[in-house]
Amino acid sequence: MSDYAIIGKRMPRVDSRTKVMGKAKFTADLKLPGMLVGKILRSPLAHARILSIDTTKAESLPGVKAVVTGKDTEGVKWGVFAYTRDQQFIQTEKVRYIGDEVAGVAAVDEETALKALDLIDVEYEELPAVFEPMEAMASDTELIHEDFPNNINIHVNIDTGNVDENFAKAHYIREDTFVAAEESYFQAEPYAVVARFDHEECLEIWCPNGGPHMKSKPLSNAFKIPLHKVKVRKIAIGGAFGGRSEICPADYICALLAKKTNHPVKIVFTREENTIATRQGHSMITTHKTGVDENGQVLARETTCYMDGGAYSSTGPIATSVPFLSMEQAYRMGSVRYNGYRVYTNKPIRGMIRVHGRCFAAGLDIQLDLIAEQLGLDPVEMRLRNSRQPGEYTSTKSYVGSCAMDETIQKAAETSNWKEKFGKLPAYHGIGIGTNSVQTGFPMGIRGGSQSFIKFNEDGQATVMSGVVDNGQGNDNMLVQIAAEELGLLPKDIHLVSADTETTSSDPGSYSQVSTFVGGQAVMIAAKNCRKKLFDVASKILKVEPDTLVAKNRMIFVADDPEKSISIKKVVRVSLLNFNSVNAEGGYWPKVDMKREWVKNPYGQMCEAFSFGTTIVEVKVDPETGQVDVLNATACQDVGKALNPLVLEGQFEGSIAMGGQGGMLTEYHEWKDGRCLNSTMLDYKVPLACDMPEITNIIVESIDPKGPYGAKEAGMSIAMSAAQAYAAAVSNAIGVHMDSFPLTPDKILAAIKEKKAQETQAETAAMGKVN
Amino acid sequence: MEKISITLDVNGKLCELMVAPNDTLLEVLRDDLDLTGSKESCGEGVCGSCTVHIDGKPVRSCLTLALEAEGSKIKTVEGLANGDQLTDLQRSFINHGAVQCGFCTPGMLMSADALLNENPDPDRTEVKKALAGNICRCTGYAKIIEAVVHANHPHEGCPDCVPYRRSERKGEE
Repeated sequence: MSDYAIIGKRMPRVDSRTKVMGKAKFTADLKLPGMLVGKILRSPLAHARILSIDTTKAESLPGVKAVVTGKDTEGVKWGVFAYTRDQQFIQTEKVRYIGDEVAGVAAVDEETALKALDLIDVEYEELPAVFEPMEAMASDTELIHEDFPNNINIHVNIDTGNVDENFAKAHYIREDTFVAAEESYFQAEPYAVVARFDHEECLEIWCPNGGPHMKSKPLSNAFKIPLHKVKVRKIAIGGAFGGRSEICPADYICALLAKKTNHPVKIVFTREENTIATRQGHSMITTHKTGVDENGQVLARETTCYMDGGAYSSTGPIATSVPFLSMEQAYRMGSVRYNGYRVYTNKPIRGMIRVHGRCFAAGLDIQLDLIAEQLGLDPVEMRLRNSRQPGEYTSTKSYVGSCAMDETIQKAAETSNWKEKFGKLPAYHGIGIGTNSVQTGFPMGIRGGSQSFIKFNEDGQATVMSGVVDNGQGNDNMLVQIAAEELGLLPKDIHLVSADTETTSSDPGSYSQVSTFVGGQAVMIAAKNCRKKLFDVASKILKVEPDTLVAKNRMIFVADDPEKSISIKKVVRVSLLNFNSVNAEGGYWPKVDMKREWVKNPYGQMCEAFSFGTTIVEVKVDPETGQVDVLNATACQDVGKALNPLVLEGQFEGSIAMGGQGGMLTEYHEWKDGRCLNSTMLDYKVPLACDMPEITNIIVESIDPKGPYGAKEAGMSIAMSAAQAYAAAVSNAIGVHMDSFPLTPDKILAAIKEKKAQETQAETAAMGKVN
Repeated sequence: MEKISITLDVNGKLCELMVAPNDTLLEVLRDDLDLTGSKESCGEGVCGSCTVHIDGKPVRSCLTLALEAEGSKIKTVEGLANGDQLTDLQRSFINHGAVQCGFCTPGMLMSADALLNENPDPDRTEVKKALAGNICRCTGYAKIIEAVVHANHPHEGCPDCVPYRRSERKGEE
């Protein structure tokens, strides 16, 4: 069925008008009567015991309204899972990284609050600190968390069996190790939070979030108040990219200060705080060992990955698994053994990021290129021989319904003229391919489903309620499009009430790529239910059967006889006059294996759908400077169904920028003794408009059997595969397969130099033989 | 710090204010005049989110003292539209999908608007150069560049330029 009125159309987003007028309110824009300024005192040491905290001088400073320390928190701890609750919102005994929360202050203005921070006296006993995962595992000094031997936070072990047997059968085996540094989100909006307790002692809070219901539950736990008393409010969000999924200690500190002062409090992070004290991407060391048969088909793979998790667990079990899962979805792996270790270090906390696992994925693809080279196969052919096919199960037993991986590879190769270019480009020109697959959702247990309510107003327009949040990717528009399509209204007839925990039901949040699939589907079902009520009334007025009716453009009419029609507004009014309201609910819960658990049982249905993407880029490397000029990028993803190509293309393009251009060329952190040396936008290099290549977007629609209109995750497979394509293209250009990411000019120059030296040596040796 | 009385001409309105000598223009716009469209993202003049016009030139309001702006004409993103009537550039941003999270959008618009005032028909390279001081983390810049290039001159081949897209846009504009 392709005759949708609104779905599939290039519809400009409903939220853009207020944004281009400067009217959209972000958290830092909020002003409430009597509002105070909150600031956080952070640890200056990477690892230290807190001996004492004296706040008396700070408290007596005029203008200071409250100071809070760990003593005020009753020691509450945060962790995504019950078994990872290791982070206090304000530390009481130890600090574990430079930036750890030690105290909070609320004052009448920023200057006073900052002065008060200086007046808090903290006595520390410095402890030996560790900054690298391998060093942390081998360290015999004080553990970062005493219950975790060798500082190993999470160990994920996946073993499908027969790995060694299949390696024994392999025609060719190789083992390579790849490393990548940490990266950061650099969302445009620095983190901010506003909190107050209202006259009914409800906590009202505004902050960027990846799911308001993921904020309300930990806050309800921490303050020991019922969930209905935590009102996470909707606010415009300036980007998330995986970095705003969890509760932030600042949320708790801000609320605690509001409670203590009985005033609203606002905390706005500096850019440095946003980099250091929210989340970062993990640095990784990944070893892939792959055995193939003579046709290049993978028979066995063993992968071991060490991830620098920083000071606390965060989304640890998920973070340790996802890089592997993305690749086992993308490629058939034969028999596989995976050991992922997330290791505590005295560095900032690492979480999920848009290109989580650039080292893992780029390494795997570069190794495939190396194997292809050995076997005399073209990289595109190598991928087609190992690509995921529809109807298969992944290594960890997820059924793959829709899958157009091959089509994305073929279309990207055709569009980029791969055949004409690969191996035929001039010196220092290169072309590279990357493929990836991303989950449409994680197993989320009780919060895995979403519910929506829709009510018609007497003017024939509708209010749609949904827990889905929009971080900037366009979820609000997605919900409006779906509701308008199903209700037969125009998008402007829909008023969306979303991302507010007081008025909306639970929802899994946006960070597992599941908003459209689950939240959008819930709205679709609610709207269908609502439409049924309209049709029941309309069918009596029009004297036809309800199933002969369609709704479009504010009208309900007989499909075969469009002249027979009635306006939706009239149907609503007739219904109300007959004592029937026109409203409905609808919900969607993905059918995943509820027994699947990240560490204890990493097998079973992970989510209902997977996206598949291929990126190909062409580059030119300057051998004198090591600078990479990206000539063009082709992004091709199987998105199930493109609900709005205009929005979708924006996701692809943003993915190329963050995943490839930034993620593989310029973005990484530098450190000195646990202190981040490039936490600002001046020092951390994100792509600019002038850096970006021309991007060709190709949308492939496999129409997922379970997704709304066939839709599934859209955009992330590009972010991931872009990193791989960039790495492969640069490798191809300089003739060295790179193994340390990102590919900064110094590394590229060193690789070129080493290659030249080897060639000279080989030439000399060859000449020696002749002589 | 002792406050000083100044008069700022913002979006065509004269505003009498008491400001501290170290107050930035951005702080005064946001905190004293409630013009929160201009954003602080980096606070050090790198990201361009705080871009406003001073006498038609795009400047970083986070690096400009409010005192320096006295006697000049200041324009913020709130001053682009004429009431509800958006400019062609604003409309072009909407129609080309150039807005995602929207945090960088005000600064982007102000830089782009200044460019179009000087050069009504810029090519892609000129647009890229003019926007090189504005960081966007969502879009990869592609749709922003297109929106600026097409703002004054809709292109026939572009599916997102309004005059060429009547069929889909019924009821939308």
